[in-house]
Amino acid sequence: MDTATYFLYILVSSMVMNLALALYGIFYKPHLTKKIISLTILGDTANAFALIIGYRLWPGEITPSRPPILVGWTHLNKTMLQQYVSTAVDPLPQALVLTAVVIGLAVTLFLVFLALQIYRHYGTLDVREIRRLRG
Amino acid sequence: MKRLVGLVVIILFILAFSLLLVVAGGSIVPGREVRGLARVYLNTSYNPWSPYFTVNSPESVTSVVWDYRGLDTVFETMVFYLAIIGSIALARGYRKYIPAKLDYSKLGLSVIVKTVTRITAPLIIIVAASIALHGHLTPGGGFQGGATGAVAPLLILIIFSQYYLIRRGVRKESMLIVRSLGLTGIGITAIAVFLAGLVAGVHAYVLQNQAKATAPVSAPAYIDNQLISGTLWFFNIFEFFAVLAGFTIVLLLLTIPERAYQGGGGE
Repeated sequence: MDTATYFLYILVSSMVMNLALALYGIFYKPHLTKKIISLTILGDTANAFALIIGYRLWPGEITPSRPPILVGWTHLNKTMLQQYVSTAVDPLPQALVLTAVVIGLAVTLFLVFLALQIYRHYGTLDVREIRRLRG
Repeated sequence: MKRLVGLVVIILFILAFSLLLVVAGGSIVPGREVRGLARVYLNTSYNPWSPYFTVNSPESVTSVVWDYRGLDTVFETMVFYLAIIGSIALARGYRKYIPAKLDYSKLGLSVIVKTVTRITAPLIIIVAASIALHGHLTPGGGFQGGATGAVAPLLILIIFSQYYLIRRGVRKESMLIVRSLGLTGIGITAIAVFLAGLVAGVHAYVLQNQAKATAPVSAPAYIDNQLISGTLWFFNIFEFFAVLAGFTIVLLLLTIPERAYQGGGGE
């Protein structure tokens, strides 16, 4: 096993751990704010997973993988395009993640606002208390 | 009993993921080659030698977002707006609370922070606009630009207070108009090439950007020798305004003073 693979295994294992912690926080923390924080951790971990899937190991010993943006398109020739296709990483997961991040931010803001209104209505953010009050 | 169930669930989760890691261990590590689909995207996003497949944008991510998978992004924009609309619906029934005597200089944080914000807030807006306008050339786009630009109203809300922003005309209502205009712009851009095809009497698709072999109409890739990549540039601009206004609405609602809620009900 080479070094890059070793570190990738460590990365993936720690992210699975992160996922488990986020799920634990969502299910077992009674406080709504902590649930929302866990939800953002869950979303970010899922996004990081998507990015790892789209990554590409260095194509050569000294040629690094590059971001999927074509540099020098004003004087493009076929060799440059060929080099770009053979070194750039997968753009599709990045495209999915970029919209997911902004939507995640909007949904988080909505949930924070919901929690704020719940606090104004019930005077507490503890879900056990809110369940006991029944409106 | 409840704790036991929780423990069992967590242990099962860890075991299942360990199994998944062992089984799928080989495919977690990315290869030296990307998938075939990614090769197609990279090869055609800016390719003057295959005019019927190219998007004419050197930025492959924005090409995927607004051209290859444009319909996905329209639906994601819809999810974004549903979240904003949900926030607005939750905030219904608050009364406007503006104190009779308002000394704007005494509101907010200290003079040092205010001066720094006066310098940085316009710069944030400029950077955001540049991210959005160059979205088809460099990393960035409408979503990223809008999310960056929303930092400026957030800073002003916290450092200068909400009344300062409202007096400058950044109200919920005006931001709703900007947001709706941005959304309308996205809709019009999505069907613009289709309408052009209808007028010209040829085949054209909704969310089409450049000409295809079966649909010979296309949005202009260059304006005055500047590359704008057809519909991508317009999508980015409209999305920038829509995202910026949407975030500003929610931030304004979040900072409504507590006193406006007391008593509740009615304007």
